[in-house]
Parts: sequence; structure tokens; C-alpha cells
Amino acid sequence: MTATTPRRPDVILIGLGQPDRGDDAVGPAIVARVRARHGDHLTVVTREDPTALVQVWDGHRAAVVADAVVSGAPPGAVSVTRAGAADPPLPTHAFTASGRGGSHAFGVAGAVELARVLGTLPQVVVIVGVEAASFAHGPMSPQVEDAIDDAVATVEAELTAALRLAPTTDTHAEVEPCA
Amino acid sequence: MTHQLKDGGQVLNVGMLARVEGEGGMHIEIKDRQVVDVKLNIFEPPRFYEGFLRGRKYTEPPDITARICGICPVAYQSASTEAMETICGITTTPEIQLMRRLLYCGEWIESHALHIFMLHAPDFLGYESVLEMAKDHPDVVNMALRLKKAGNDLMELVGGRAIHPVNVKVGGFYRMPTVSELEALRPALEQGVEDSFAAVQLVAGFDFPEMEQDYTYVSLRHPDWYPLERGTEVVASDGVRFPVAEIPQRIEEFHVQHSHALHARFDGGTYFVGPLARYSNNFDQLSPRCQEAALKAGLGETCRNPFKSIIVRTVELAYAFEEAVRIIDQWRDGHAPSVPTAPRAGEGVGASEAPRGTIWHRYRIDADGVIQDAQIVPPTSQNQASIEADLRLAAQQWVDLDDHMLTHRCEEAIRNYDPCISCATHFLDLRVKRTTSAEQP
Repeated sequence: MTATTPRRPDVILIGLGQPDRGDDAVGPAIVARVRARHGDHLTVVTREDPTALVQVWDGHRAAVVADAVVSGAPPGAVSVTRAGAADPPLPTHAFTASGRGGSHAFGVAGAVELARVLGTLPQVVVIVGVEAASFAHGPMSPQVEDAIDDAVATVEAELTAALRLAPTTDTHAEVEPCA
Repeated sequence: MTHQLKDGGQVLNVGMLARVEGEGGMHIEIKDRQVVDVKLNIFEPPRFYEGFLRGRKYTEPPDITARICGICPVAYQSASTEAMETICGITTTPEIQLMRRLLYCGEWIESHALHIFMLHAPDFLGYESVLEMAKDHPDVVNMALRLKKAGNDLMELVGGRAIHPVNVKVGGFYRMPTVSELEALRPALEQGVEDSFAAVQLVAGFDFPEMEQDYTYVSLRHPDWYPLERGTEVVASDGVRFPVAEIPQRIEEFHVQHSHALHARFDGGTYFVGPLARYSNNFDQLSPRCQEAALKAGLGETCRNPFKSIIVRTVELAYAFEEAVRIIDQWRDGHAPSVPTAPRAGEGVGASEAPRGTIWHRYRIDADGVIQDAQIVPPTSQNQASIEADLRLAAQQWVDLDDHMLTHRCEEAIRNYDPCISCATHFLDLRVKRTTSAEQP
């Protein structure tokens, strides 16, 4: 979309990750928990492909993204990264060039910065990350499973802050099924 | 990065090759301005999928093999279902085949759109990545995202998920989409037809290096349509044609020391699978509008310049959109999603045309439907030798370029293939070593 598209000043929660790939499932798992409690007040979606972010958050004033991350922290560590239109650019080269950031070498940082260039980046973008131990096929690792409660609380706190920023009269219920 | 070697030679090291799927290594050695050695090093440990499949039920490969790749899972599902149905004597309905083709259109659309615009076009427009390209060409990138989303949405509806679809099984599908669900996708698909034909003209205007290869083009062929989800035979540009069942007798896999992925040869020689082969072997099966667009874009009925693969890929993108709309036009509710299946002892082959080229599976199962042996041969594995051949030719043709430019040209030559290296590898570390006779120890 272009900058001329009318913007909806609401908040979107996005769970990013593939449910089959070990700890990559944590994003969808977090948003499923939040959807059950707050789905009437939020747009909640899950996506597996980071490139989808560029379009899915277009028109929203705030987006909270739950995703598995690899930063070197202990598995299960919960982190918060602010990447909205007013925040400094993310270091994209490592994500977009290494082939490790997502399908065909395009990861979350690439999606954020591409959205920034195209004018689709929400004013507020908060990436709630859970440090992953493994992306091999199979269930989540115990450390990441144990971190979901903390991550959900972090997401809810960020959503509360974001909802205060966005006009409440324009929030709406739109819950999409998990992909 | 350039390193001086103790013997006076040079090594150019690109720590990671951008805009490809996966990781691998490339070594190019030049002596006295002659390319003397080219190796595509695939060093990811084997993934053992063929081993995992032994002992599993004949109904499981569509779900198991779809997890091999997030970009081309439908290719794996189509080859495995066809193989199992061939072995077990299962005949599906025309509607099931039609829906498989529609699902395959979704995969081609999302894969081709991603590669053409996000990964390949920056090479021709002079940008390091799509991020830089988007600053100057936002309309192109927005179009690319639109096209890719249309493919993802089609995959999600027909396959149940945009990545690693779950709705495919031996004998058909678990559920058929309804007319109303498909109609909801029509506007984006019809827009995709127009966008992609416009994109053919756009990429035709790029500046293409002059380079031609003469290896044998191998692809599937179907008497009624351009090959996607299946073909009735394999055809080669040297005139050889044979049934899909004979692929294992004509294509030989073999190990080379510098790669963890098996190389392959066709009738004893280097061959090529992929859009250039598909197009050149099946030009007559493209729609009239696609044929016209291709010719107008400067292509002949065959294309031997690997750098022009971006045009061919864009023609195929337009064809996939056309096919998707055509299939939705004729779809009616009420078709059975699958036919009954039962195991039968035997061995068989299935093949389909992944976005990057022909993929084939061979299975042997017992009377209870338990898999005794499995062989999976993806296109990037088959193309390793032709990638090396392209690298050899490119490095020789542009040997007088400085190291930076030569390295970049070699990277472009690799990206021509849209290699799905993650089916077998990770990281691509490109090294060019230059020496002269006088510098040899």
C-alpha cells in the first residue's frame, strides 16, 4: 500500500513463526494465549513469513510482534525491541544478507526497514522476543515453554500502552484463525 | 574481501552470498588468467530425510517431505503423492488434479515473485538489496509484495497453510475450497495477471550480460499444458524423451568430495533443470498471451542466457496467475476431495516442476504400505554441475574485471538459478583465488 491509503488508528498483535519448527512456534503460542483473553479488542493474526509483516501491519498505528529470536541470551529470555517509525533503524544487513533471517534471506529486521521505506511501518512497533534454543522440527524446548507466561505478560503490558496511544473508538474485533 | 596468499595468489572472500535461500561455499581458482578450478561446496550435514522415510507409511511422505523446504513444499507434496499413487494404482479425479495445479500456481507465484523482485532485480538495477531498491522503486516493490501475497493467500486457502501446507494427501485433499472462497481471491489474481505482464516488460528492459550455455535442458512435458504439478514424460533439449518412470535409469546421482549434496548427470553429462529448460522445452504450451509477451520481451522460443532467466521467470509468473484464474473460472462445488487409497507393493516415481526445476521422488513400499526405500532429488542438487559450469564460464569471460566486480558477477551467476540451497545447505562463501605460474611454489 502507499502512504495515501487511509490509516486505521488501531492496534494489531502478530504472532510470527512456524508451529512445526521447535521454538519458532513461540510467537503463535503467545498470541493464541492473548487472543483468548483479549481477542474482542484486538486484531490478532499469525504469520509464518516475515515478508507478510510489510503489508499486514499497514494502516495500524501500533503493532506488537511476538517472535522467537536468537541474540545469544539464555534460551527463554524475553526481550523487547522497539522498531516503530520514530525508532532508530534496525541493523538489517545481518538479517537480509545472511539467509538466516527467514525464508529466502528476508527476516523481521528486513521487513521493518522495508516497511519504513515504503511508508507502511506503524508509529509503534514492539517486537517481543523469546530467545530460542532450537528451530529443529518438533516441540518447543522446555525453557521456551516456561517463558511463555512472562512473554504473554510482556505482550499484554505493551498492548495496554499501545491501546492508550491509539484512539479507542476505532479499535475493532477482528480475529483471524491461526495459519 | 581480498587476501594475498603466501604463493602470491589472491583469494576474494564474500563471507555470505546475499539473496539466496540457504548457505554454501564457492571456490574459484584462476591461474595465468585461466579458470582452473570451480567448486560449489555444500557443507551442511545431510538431513537424512530419505532415511527418516524408511519404515513410515506410504501416506506420510506428503506431510514429511513438505517440511524439507518452506519455499517449495508443494513440489515435494506433488512428487510424493504422484509416486505413491503410481505404485498403488490409485487414479484420482480430474478435479483433484485441477486443484493440485491451482495449489502449485500459488507456490510458483509466491516463489517467483519473491525471487524476481526482492532477490534478483537488485542485481540488474544496481542495488545491494531490495531495501535500497525500494527507496527508488517503491511501486515495483509494492507490486512484488502484492503479487507474493496473492500466492500466499492461494496457498493458504488450498493448502491449509501458506508455508508447509497440510491439506494434501495421497489420493487428493482433506478438503476442497468452495467457489465462494476461491472467488474471494479472484480480484487479487486478476490484478496479478496484469501486474505480471507489465513486469515482463519491466524486466525485459534490464541490461543483460552476454553469456550462453549449451548444456542439455531437461524438464517435464504434458500434452495438454505447461508442466507444473506433473508431466506425462521427461523431455530433453537433445531430443531424448522418456516416461517419468524411467527417470532413475536416466539420471544418475553421484558423490563429489567437495559437496554434501549429491551431484547428478543425465545420460552421463551435465544438464540443467529450471525455468530456462521448462520454457525452452514447452514454449508451445504457454498461453498465447504469454508467448506474445515473451517474444515481445526479446526472448526466442528457447533461451540460453542464464541471466535472462529473470524474464522467463516473470513469463511463468504471468502464466501461473492466468492458470489460477482459469481454474477458478471452471471450479464448481461438490467435488469429492479425495479417492479411496490402499497400499500395494511396488516401486514408483513421481515428478513435478518446482519453481527451480524438476524434482523427482522414487519410493519402494511393501504390501502393507511401509516404505522400504526412498530417493528424493531436488532441482538445486541436480543443477550443481551446471552452476559450476556457469561460474567457470562467467569467471573466464570476465577474468579481467577487478576482484570486486568479478566476485559480484559470479554471485549474479549463482542467483540466476534462484538456488534453494537450504534443501541441502546453508551459507555461501565465495572465494576467487588468482595465481600465476611464476607465483606457484
